[in-house]
Amino acid sequence: MKLTPRLSLAAVAALAASLAAPALAQKEIVVWHAYRAEEKAALEKVVAAYNQANAAKGIKVTTLAVPYDAFADKITAAVPRGKGPDVFIYAQDRLGGWIEAGNTVEPIDFFLDKATKDRFIPTTMEAMTYRGTVWGLPLDYKVITMIYNKKLVPVPPKTSKELVAVARKLTDKKAGRFGLAYSYSDYYYHAALQNGFGGRVFDPGPKPVLNAPENVKAMELLMRWLDTDGILPAEPSTALITSLFNDGRAAIVFSGPWFLGEIAKGIDYALAPLPTLDEAGGKPMRPWMTVEGVFVTAQSKNKDAAYDFAKVLTDTPAARVMALEGRQTPANKAVYDDPAVAKDPILSAFRKQVEVAIPMPNLPEMTMVWSPATTAMNTIVKKSATPKAALDAAEKAVLRDVAGLRKR
Amino acid sequence: MSARAGDAPERPPSHRLRFAVGLLVASALAVGVGYRLLDGALAQGARSAEDRRANVAIRALAEVVDRAGVTGDAVRAAVAAWAKDHPQQAAIKVVAFDGLSLEASTDPADTGDEAAPRRLRREEKDLYDRGQRLRAAVETNRAEGASRKDEVERARLADGSLSIAAPLEKDGAVVGLVQVQRRPPPPVKPPSWLTALSYVAVPVAVFLLAGLVVGERRAVLGVLAVVLLAGTVWGYGAQSAAKLERGRRAVEEGIAGIVRDEGAKASAILASLSLPAEPPLDPARWDADAFRRPYGVVRSDGSVDEAKVAASAARDRTAVRNALLLVGGVSLAVLLFVGLGGASAFVRTVRTNRVAYTYVLPAMAGMVVLVFFPFLYGIAISFTDSTIYNTNAPLTDIWVGFKNYVSILSDFHVATRDADGTLVFNYLNFYWTLWVTVAWTVTNVTIGVTVGLFLALVLNTKGLALKPVYRVLLILPWAMPNYITALIWKGMFHQQFGVVNQVIQIFGGSPVSWFETPFTSFLTALATNGWLSFPFMMVVSLGALQSIPSDLYEAARVDGASRWQQFTGITLPSLKPALVPAIILSVVWTFNMFNIIYLVTQGEPGGSTEILITQAYKFAFEKYRYGYAAAYSTVIFGILVVYGTFQNRVTRATEGI
Repeated sequence: MKLTPRLSLAAVAALAASLAAPALAQKEIVVWHAYRAEEKAALEKVVAAYNQANAAKGIKVTTLAVPYDAFADKITAAVPRGKGPDVFIYAQDRLGGWIEAGNTVEPIDFFLDKATKDRFIPTTMEAMTYRGTVWGLPLDYKVITMIYNKKLVPVPPKTSKELVAVARKLTDKKAGRFGLAYSYSDYYYHAALQNGFGGRVFDPGPKPVLNAPENVKAMELLMRWLDTDGILPAEPSTALITSLFNDGRAAIVFSGPWFLGEIAKGIDYALAPLPTLDEAGGKPMRPWMTVEGVFVTAQSKNKDAAYDFAKVLTDTPAARVMALEGRQTPANKAVYDDPAVAKDPILSAFRKQVEVAIPMPNLPEMTMVWSPATTAMNTIVKKSATPKAALDAAEKAVLRDVAGLRKR
Repeated sequence: MSARAGDAPERPPSHRLRFAVGLLVASALAVGVGYRLLDGALAQGARSAEDRRANVAIRALAEVVDRAGVTGDAVRAAVAAWAKDHPQQAAIKVVAFDGLSLEASTDPADTGDEAAPRRLRREEKDLYDRGQRLRAAVETNRAEGASRKDEVERARLADGSLSIAAPLEKDGAVVGLVQVQRRPPPPVKPPSWLTALSYVAVPVAVFLLAGLVVGERRAVLGVLAVVLLAGTVWGYGAQSAAKLERGRRAVEEGIAGIVRDEGAKASAILASLSLPAEPPLDPARWDADAFRRPYGVVRSDGSVDEAKVAASAARDRTAVRNALLLVGGVSLAVLLFVGLGGASAFVRTVRTNRVAYTYVLPAMAGMVVLVFFPFLYGIAISFTDSTIYNTNAPLTDIWVGFKNYVSILSDFHVATRDADGTLVFNYLNFYWTLWVTVAWTVTNVTIGVTVGLFLALVLNTKGLALKPVYRVLLILPWAMPNYITALIWKGMFHQQFGVVNQVIQIFGGSPVSWFETPFTSFLTALATNGWLSFPFMMVVSLGALQSIPSDLYEAARVDGASRWQQFTGITLPSLKPALVPAIILSVVWTFNMFNIIYLVTQGEPGGSTEILITQAYKFAFEKYRYGYAAAYSTVIFGILVVYGTFQNRVTRATEGI
């Protein structure tokens, strides 16, 4: 219903276009995205420029904003039946599921030349790869980094020892003040610590290894921070962390770009890379990153044109618009050499952090990890079980679920 | 015809005519369906025979190309030699992934400038992608130690011909693909329709003749019709089964011949091009399924394993028998429906109430599309092993019967004893979740009714000042969106910053970690839902209270009844007609109260406070086991149906008041 005016507008526009260029066979590329506000405006600007440049070829790109909540399910339902778009933009976490279901995403290995491949941050390209085949071009990434209150922390800690020292000084549990606050019992956030120790969810290949010894070590360090050092609040929901940081009662937060919009006006904050871990021989904390990719659908009638658009959308000029106007952190490497981007403290901070980030696994089995992992995290931080025992239990649960899925 | 027979109620109905029509329709149905099934089975048999022949051929070719080294002139020579031996193949293509190169091709289009070797063109992307798919399949199956993805891909083209592709390997890695397009196989001869027709005509003719002798004796006519129908179904079924078995044997013999033949041809090519002949070829392994697992019907020496053939023939017979039982049952129902006058009665009602049915039709159509179809589809899914990996597979391919139900309902391992003797509950067990759900429903409804009724009684006090203000305030919890309320309550139960623990601390208690044990976690959800559910009960009771005539109380006072006696003797019985339906309704709501559990406790700790509906959600959308989740939901539906029947009885019992 809501779409009616827009649809009729689009129809009028299409009509006008067809009247203007009657001799040209129009090729329409439909793009679905879940962007709002400035991101949407930036994308539309890039598309408008593309349309202008390609009008002579008779190619016209139209965008459709689909609400984020329904996005993935719409793709799953519509694309295999030929009712979907030619191109869509989404994060890599559902990629494996779509590929396993088949008939949804088009592999682009064949189109992909070395020059195109090399223009992205390598790990973002890795996120677009499933079972050795590339399925999309990375557009932007989101990654957790260190956000700190400059008034409380003049110099950001570089190592975990420094972090604990700073945080201990700033923590007063009785008064509800904490040196460090982050959603540590959320597995996604905890992964930064786990990956820092060299831990992992899947052994190379699809075998879950939640109870790898490195994972246990990471959990033990978290417990030390929570218990012995006492620098973290209990039951850290995102709402709690936001309000603590905004009240000046949390000095340092580990969070991603989504957190920046929540920070209150009066807070003077800055970003710095997550500290290195003295407990893991000085290796950096390595957060998971989610990478939004541009995917060509398997049912598209104009795959060549669709891929061409994806290529332009991820190229440096478009990435510059997406970064400066859409406030995205592009996966394109070259755009960070642009002076306007380079001097932006937020964009360059995320760029620095992504160097050590690891793409979140895009295997469909990953969805089965969340629930047992969350259970394990909760039992561990509540001290109902030792890290080893809880992770063993989680591993067993995941293995059982995966077996339930894979049997044939 | 039967309608016409039933259209003249003044004349006694002709049983002979009804049974004759019934027999005609039923046997035509049975034989018609049987004919389609047989036709389908023959075509399917021909397709799978062609698949197996193609499979043997491509595996032989892949073996030769592997030994020729996948790239280079040796490959082109091998392919050319192989193509000469196999006029049945329309086009052969060999692709090496490295450099996207077309290594060899016998396609007539690939000559002159387009001749192999050359780089693949843009239009040939599908060929490359197909190879990548096979590579990923081989690697996936290897990594998972299972056979889940097709390692040999078949696609049937529009003209019935087969395009088949197999991976090429070098040192254990898949480095290319070989694709063969075969010429269309000769069309399959459909089964004789004359035979089928005779299976309908003969019994009907026999019945008509016998009818002349028997006359209008209904029981005899009925038995005769049933016997004749059974004969038709059995006869046509037995004939079809025999035909299928003959076909099966012929196919196995044929495959064995092809395996021997391909083995000899491959050896000859290896010898003539002086390619490595070691390790020796094992052609029997080429007769394999899409996962390259040999069927084992053809032995290494080229002979047929009779036991395997007999086993698959037995499987065919079981399938035929099941189909027969199903078709026979349906046609028997049709026969009895027509023969015993059900059909004519049905037509009569439709005619009499034509207008009424016309009015109802649009609503019925809407119900069918929006309610019954999704519902039945959900039930159908519950009998399959549908998961994220096979959403696009037809339901019949993943049919598992009652397996999901059995694994849900027959698992009684609710609790086990630990090494040190403590009870450990398995929170994922169905019966644990059922117990939580029942406890959840009972406690919630009790709280809702008690608090609601109490507040209604208070609000009903005569002369209470500011009554409308209280009423609005007390309805507010109901007016707020319940997920907002749920999130607020969750915040109130925070260990350090939650208001509940702060109040406890004011009174000198120590803060409780609410979501740590199942019981306290359950309490948080209970408090939230209690808050949400009392306004409804209060509104219902308040309305009913105001409709109780005040003279009843006056009379009671005159008779000297106490306040308590008035409450139990007048108020409660008068509230019953309003409260019982409200309670019944709120039981169903609470039983399926997804939001509160999902948002407040999130099943913590460890899924112990999950209720059935949230558990079903987790199976479907976190574990991607759609079939299992559908079975779970169907069980929930079953429980509610049982409850609904019970509810109907109770409502009927209260109607009299």
